Amino acid sequence: MSALRLISNRTSQQALSNSDYTWDYEYYEYGPVSFEGLKAHKYSIVIGFWVGLAVFVIFMFFVLTLLTKTGAPHQDNAELSEKRFHMNSFVADFGRPLESERVFSKQMAEESQSLFHFCINEVDHMNKEKESQKGPSLESNTHFQEVPKSSGMFEEDLHCLTKFNIPNFVNTEQNSSLGEDDLLISEPPIIL
Amino acid sequence: ENISDFSLNITDCTQVVVPEEVFFTVAAAGILENLLILIAVVRNKNLHLPMYFFICSLAISDMLGSLYKTLENIFIILCKMGYLTRHGDFEKKLDDAMDSMFILSLLGSIFSLLAIAADRYITIFYALRYHNIMTLRRALFILAIIWAFCAGSSIAIALFSYEAATVIPFTILFPLMMFFILCLYVHMFLLARSHAKKIASLPSSTVHHRTNMRGAITLTIFLGVFLCCWAPFVLHILLARFCPHNPYCACYMSIFHVNGTLIMCNAIINPMIFAFRSPELRSTFKKMFYCSR
Repeated sequence: MSALRLISNRTSQQALSNSDYTWDYEYYEYGPVSFEGLKAHKYSIVIGFWVGLAVFVIFMFFVLTLLTKTGAPHQDNAELSEKRFHMNSFVADFGRPLESERVFSKQMAEESQSLFHFCINEVDHMNKEKESQKGPSLESNTHFQEVPKSSGMFEEDLHCLTKFNIPNFVNTEQNSSLGEDDLLISEPPIIL
Repeated sequence: ENISDFSLNITDCTQVVVPEEVFFTVAAAGILENLLILIAVVRNKNLHLPMYFFICSLAISDMLGSLYKTLENIFIILCKMGYLTRHGDFEKKLDDAMDSMFILSLLGSIFSLLAIAADRYITIFYALRYHNIMTLRRALFILAIIWAFCAGSSIAIALFSYEAATVIPFTILFPLMMFFILCLYVHMFLLARSHAKKIASLPSSTVHHRTNMRGAITLTIFLGVFLCCWAPFVLHILLARFCPHNPYCACYMSIFHVNGTLIMCNAIINPMIFAFRSPELRSTFKKMFYCSR
């Protein structure tokens, strides 16, 4: 498999052993290859391979970017279940530092957990209001009552979200595997 | 009028030779970089996590690949200078051993990438139970199994490398693993995208679309680098097995050195896209260098 041939620039008058240093196996010899009558360019496999590879990688990239643009998340029901999942993962992310990170004191974690529960309640409340706003017109009475409440909650919610945006805390070992500016792990746990 | 193994036609595809300085620089850089990662993970207790062990496994396989290429080049030079004979028994055994080291490196790379992808997948989709699923012991056990399997198959492949029965599974394994890793990452990516959409639907959020683009770019880089660095060599093996006398195939096989250098470049790039993205690892490096002053 590691047959390599280093061909020197010497002419063919010299003996074979001098002009041809080989490190090979018998089964892997390049026999005399005739280059007569080639229809295509002799490096066509090389060129074809690299062009094909480049096209494939670019195609993969475009498919991935298209994935970012097409398709909308499911509304309402799926949103609820998804939110529960995200909250769970949020909990897990908070739970993990307590075990694996020795640099964080328990106090800080507990304080953040209480903050977290507060925020979850707030966001939950807000989402319930959102859903009730989208609900049928039968609930229009309650709808008018809750709208001013929800507008007042926006600032609190934002404040709540920024409190959680503590880079050092949330960017734990698990999350930092993909880098702080990577979407896959670091973004979801930071902002609920 | 001596007939050499290659016809001396002017239209021949002569071997494309990579200068030895370039070769050894690339190899040394790869070995050093990966060694640094190993040292950093061993020294910092915070990095004794399954995720970093998988990254270490990738670093080890990259190091083996670069080491193989370096040793092979050294032996070629020794052969050129006449210290080693061409067809001796000892050289053949050495060649066998080095071949198996190389295949070990390739298989180790593929399985390490797979382990890293699976670990991230479990982190995202089984977040609650991650600590129960991926304990340190289990991670080490998985690594032991992976490396035992790779060692066994590399020895088997090196011994029977001229059989088609080993070449074909070897070349099928490569795209199969790539496809599997791609599926894992795409699934994770889809979840992250829907997450971002949810965040964007919140009032006055500041998430930009560029973060989704960045996810696509990162993923493309992960897989694109691995493909571009290893696929040329895998194709070389296929062609060498099935059409060594075809002029087109022979022309492709003449760029063997370039393919080897690409593999070593992969050893240099992999730490940058996996290990150095972790802030903890970067801070460990800084500590190591500042303390040594």
